[in-house]
Amino acid sequence: MSLNGGFPIRQILVALVVLPALYLVFNIYQAGNSLIALAMLIVICLGAFIYLSDLGYTYRYLFPGLLGFGLFVIFPIVYMVFLSFTKYSSQNLLYFERSLALLRQETFPVGDATYKYKLYLEDDGTYILYLENEKDPTKRFVSEPFELKAGEQSKGDQEPGVLRALAPGEEVKGRPLEVAQVTREKLFIPMRGRQFALPGGTLVGMEGLQKFASRERLWTLNPDGSLTNKKDGAVIRPDFRLGFFVDKNGEKVGVGFRTFTGLDNYIRIVTDPRIQGPFFKIFLWTVGYSAMSVLLTFSVGMVLAVVLEWKDLRFRNTYRTLLILPYAVPAVLSILIFKGLFNQEFGAVNQFLRGIFGAAPEWETNPWGARTMILLVNLWLGYPYMMLICTGMLQSIPSTIYEASAIDGSNPLVDFFELTLPLLLPPLVPILISSFAFNFNNFNLIYLLTAGGPKMVGGGIAGETDLLVNYTFNIAFRDSGTNYGLASAIATVLFIIVGLLAWTNLKLTGRNVKI
Amino acid sequence: MTAHQKVLARKVGAHAFLICFLILILVPFVMVISASLRQGNFAPSRLLPDKVSLDHWKFVLGIPYQEVVNPATGETRTVKPSTPPLLWFWNSIKVSVTASAGIIFLSGTAAYAFARLRFKFRSTTLSALLILQMFPMVLSLVAFYVILDFAGQYVKWLGLNTQPGLIMIYLGGISNYIWMIKGYFETIPASMEESARIDGASQFQTFIRILLPMSLPIFAVVFILSFISYMSEYPVASVVLQSSDNWTLAVGANSFLYEQEKLWGRFSALAVLSGVPITVVFLLCQRFVIGGLTSGGVKE
Repeated sequence: MSLNGGFPIRQILVALVVLPALYLVFNIYQAGNSLIALAMLIVICLGAFIYLSDLGYTYRYLFPGLLGFGLFVIFPIVYMVFLSFTKYSSQNLLYFERSLALLRQETFPVGDATYKYKLYLEDDGTYILYLENEKDPTKRFVSEPFELKAGEQSKGDQEPGVLRALAPGEEVKGRPLEVAQVTREKLFIPMRGRQFALPGGTLVGMEGLQKFASRERLWTLNPDGSLTNKKDGAVIRPDFRLGFFVDKNGEKVGVGFRTFTGLDNYIRIVTDPRIQGPFFKIFLWTVGYSAMSVLLTFSVGMVLAVVLEWKDLRFRNTYRTLLILPYAVPAVLSILIFKGLFNQEFGAVNQFLRGIFGAAPEWETNPWGARTMILLVNLWLGYPYMMLICTGMLQSIPSTIYEASAIDGSNPLVDFFELTLPLLLPPLVPILISSFAFNFNNFNLIYLLTAGGPKMVGGGIAGETDLLVNYTFNIAFRDSGTNYGLASAIATVLFIIVGLLAWTNLKLTGRNVKI
Repeated sequence: MTAHQKVLARKVGAHAFLICFLILILVPFVMVISASLRQGNFAPSRLLPDKVSLDHWKFVLGIPYQEVVNPATGETRTVKPSTPPLLWFWNSIKVSVTASAGIIFLSGTAAYAFARLRFKFRSTTLSALLILQMFPMVLSLVAFYVILDFAGQYVKWLGLNTQPGLIMIYLGGISNYIWMIKGYFETIPASMEESARIDGASQFQTFIRILLPMSLPIFAVVFILSFISYMSEYPVASVVLQSSDNWTLAVGANSFLYEQEKLWGRFSALAVLSGVPITVVFLLCQRFVIGGLTSGGVKE
């Protein structure tokens, strides 16, 4: 199978890809992500098999494409459907284990022993902590060398550092840093999250900026998974529906965690008035906007195509080239340009309208003004595509049928409605549907032009011109309480709608039959 | 009215309609050019700039210029961007060209299998490709973030805030192109490849030496369409690329238009300088693109 005779070029290529990949898998496995490493290993073995064995021949052409598709299209969809069944938001951000570990690290001061401290900077860049009992200066302790990153909040998940008693007269090596210096160099930030254990096992931690005090862990873990507060004996247990630890009154304690909540997010879409109201309003606007966009761009594009098909018209090609221009400019730029032109106070459109009529529409603050603007801009962006498509279709209509109708004494308008349109529409249906689906998810246009504005009254983060996809994006990324779970549920609904559209389209085109 | 007069009237009408329409369509372009040459940062609103200044162009090109800080004293200061905005244009070109080349490789090989080879679940896979691609890329951002964050822990240059990472994500959008190329392959009769097989060529050789050279036009179309769609891609790039020297044109252009201070002049200069080359290339390749559009690509 190799290109030049016996030289095993294919085997060498496979080895060149597989070996680094295996090294990567090894690293990932070592870092503790064994499941992901296993999945990668399976993919690599599969790939090696496909490219080495004759049995996998057909799949040699498919493997790279399908791998990319699987990773960047299918995986995100699966991941999102999975998230839609969970509670996952800025309040419930961590995994349960992390949330539990954070609680377990909470400490409270015990006893009255306090310590003065000094940090010693060693030659190799590590630090040593030195403690001296304030009441009894002979009790001195020193830690093992440890690393500190100035200004960086420690995650608080390290094991407590070990302290040993310092013999009388023994001095600590290294350059001492006084408390003021520690504060100035922002070393206290990582220090605050650290715990140290005295020889007896008592924990000490920073108390304010000046000193250390002995502390004890606040919560003890009970066998049934609940936690008991050592100070007041209160018991809290994890509530997996809420994604929080709660006490006996149902008050939330600690940091929330991600949890599986089944259909909760979907039920919320249908029942929660804060979501449901905007959701249906936005849904209607999305459908209306998509339908209007298709209708407008199609009508204008069709009319232009028909006019330009007139053979006796001069400068046809010049007109056509100029008319395609909006399609040739990158859409991001044109959308932002229109944002400027439609600027309510200073934009060209309103200066012009004010000059002529003395009044101008509110493109930014009035919902219907904003919607009109969006449709106009989208018409500008979209008609060239429809014009090009219609031109292609028109050229496939034999001119003889027009000649026949001319003999019957017809005129162009009658021709258009009785001959051209009926002939063109059926083959155009799939294109109209995919244009509808494209507009349905036209995130860029809305995001860059109006950012969803004006705000929907009583709709929270929903804007009057938000499409479903923008609304979902806002819930996931822009809301102060980013809610990935809820956003994923809405995205799943959205995907089902658009997927059905695409499926219908497939059936209509009969592309399947041809395969 | 005679028949001749009727036709003449119709022609005048058609020209009048087309010219009016063109004026409406083209005015925005003139205004952007004018805004880019106008002193100060005003929203595009005039056909001709009142006071011509090249400051915005200089800013975009990264050439330092003097700006009057205090008109009363005539005090000036030198303005120079930390990142020349035209770099964003260059970044966009790099990302879009690499991603489009990757797309051609991935979709071309896959399309060959779908068009010429027989295997299980072939038509199901084809339909699934089309339907799954309908899922908007924006909503995959959470997953993209997770993937890149993970990749960056092991391969630095493939992580968040890297252009290769962004390109990698762009490589997922192949299914429309697979359909387009497959459709084109099917219009080429397989008989030539079959006779080459009989003469002893391998399957791979018939693909590389016979089918590919005959399919160059469709690859040109796919390249142009995917190039254009990635030049305009905003949401994914804005999340993945964080530092301004990595930004693409779309992210950079939008960064001039903050809510508080909209720098229309600078934006317009960037739009003109980067929009013109792309437009010209597109118009030069027009014929190709139109041919490809009718086989069902939608510009994104």
